[in-house]
Amino acid sequence: MDPDPTIAAIARWSGIAPPNEAARIGLADNAALITEIEAMRGTMGFEEEPSDFKAALRDCREPTP
Amino acid sequence: MNAPVAVTDLASLSMTEAADAFATGEVAATALVEACLARIDAHDAVVNSVIRLDREAALEAAAAADAARAAGRPLGKLAGVPMMHKDMYYRAGRVSSCGSKIRRDFIPGVTATVLERLDAAGAIDMGTLNMAEFAQNPTGHNAHFGHCHNPWDPAYCTGGSSSGSGAGVAARFFYAALGSDTGGSIRLPATLCGVTGLKGTQTRVSRAGVMPLSFSCDNVGPLVRTARDAARFMAVTAGHDPRDPTSAREPVPDYEAALTGDIRGLRIAVCETFFLDGADAPVVAAFEAALDALRARGAVVTRISASSMRAINAYTAMVSRVEGAAIHANWMREHPGDYAIHLSARLFGGYAFPAHLYVEALSRRGPLLRQFVAEALTGHDIVATPTLKTRVPTLAETDIDADPANWSRFMAVSANTRPFNYLGLPTISIPCGFDDRGLPIGLQLAGRPFAEATVLKAADAFQRETGWHCKAPAL
Repeated sequence: MDPDPTIAAIARWSGIAPPNEAARIGLADNAALITEIEAMRGTMGFEEEPSDFKAALRDCREPTP
Repeated sequence: MNAPVAVTDLASLSMTEAADAFATGEVAATALVEACLARIDAHDAVVNSVIRLDREAALEAAAAADAARAAGRPLGKLAGVPMMHKDMYYRAGRVSSCGSKIRRDFIPGVTATVLERLDAAGAIDMGTLNMAEFAQNPTGHNAHFGHCHNPWDPAYCTGGSSSGSGAGVAARFFYAALGSDTGGSIRLPATLCGVTGLKGTQTRVSRAGVMPLSFSCDNVGPLVRTARDAARFMAVTAGHDPRDPTSAREPVPDYEAALTGDIRGLRIAVCETFFLDGADAPVVAAFEAALDALRARGAVVTRISASSMRAINAYTAMVSRVEGAAIHANWMREHPGDYAIHLSARLFGGYAFPAHLYVEALSRRGPLLRQFVAEALTGHDIVATPTLKTRVPTLAETDIDADPANWSRFMAVSANTRPFNYLGLPTISIPCGFDDRGLPIGLQLAGRPFAEATVLKAADAFQRETGWHCKAPAL
């Protein structure tokens, strides 16, 4: 089992191994996003009210002149 | 309508100029195809934009179009116009490689609705174009068919993923090309190659018969020379499709009718949050000059901030990568070595995202669209940004396959385009200048959902005021 817990979890859940060294670097690149999500924790969350993206697209159309 | 044809080099016409010249009998479709073939023959060895050239079929289609016009039969809006398309638009019985080794021999059994609509409008399909493998990079690298090269300087990226579409339109190989845009894949090659590219509102154009990358963020759209070209192309291709139940039922307006050149009072917001952070000086200078050109035609420019951008950026980074990883899971298990290094590496990272964050990202998409519209598009008609924050990078400095240390430069290319895919807003990129190395710079204009006409109107007015879109690379 890979000593990196994320890589081990991917192998366990998805059956996919790092295809090359760049994949490990790419995985490390996720760290910036994780840091950003940590910083926003408490301000982000699942939208509890029913929300539909297509409805939002329709509702946000240009006002009719 | 465009002015009468007054040039001798037919390949230099815009798409609408070519269509109008054919419709009025000024040029033959055969002459248009021959002009394009001559350009491809002369220069594609350098650019490498073409995967499959259907030379004889194109000439036969052109002869049929000429005969139809001579016989007085009704002509479509794009009759006689040669085009080529990114190699991920399925045509039944024809290989659609998707720029990959895995699908190098894939022959679909269906034809994309968007190709059927272009066929019905009389466009001539000359073949298929180079692209990023499975539409999965923003630079134009391709390990299987060779990198596509920027016609302005072959050492530089074309932008991706619609690399052949952008490079070929810039090189005057054809008048229009389909690209696809999940994180900027139309707008990036448009800006890096100095042409016009339009991503419509999410759901505006059918995706039936199109290779999927990210079901939530994929868009179909054109790379062309002018906003007027994009308007006509969109009029032909947009609209509900029963084969794509996600496609919008919104009526398709007469986009060209909106191109009056009059943008007096048009309210343009410059979002100073995020989009200008770390931008290169030549890009900022060209962007500010572009705003001046819009002001000169009567637009009112205001600086705004948008606190929603932080969450939009975080969620944007997740959705397409998770969806892409899901689509490729079987191949990643069974054929990981058949992908380019950069692609399998990028896909691999998508399996690490927790599912609850992906679900959260989708649940917040509608509310964040509403918030962004409230912050940036209430009291404004358009949001303007540079399409690419930096000068055009070289192929070498963004080549992850050669050196994984290039990862951050590679990922940074699509920073300004990705958010508009999450938001689903119609967005265009148009040329607005050149950097100190002679590579193009792009202006990105976004509008409210289904406001393609407003976006096109602003872009067309800009192109009436400036000549950047008329510049052609010396090959």
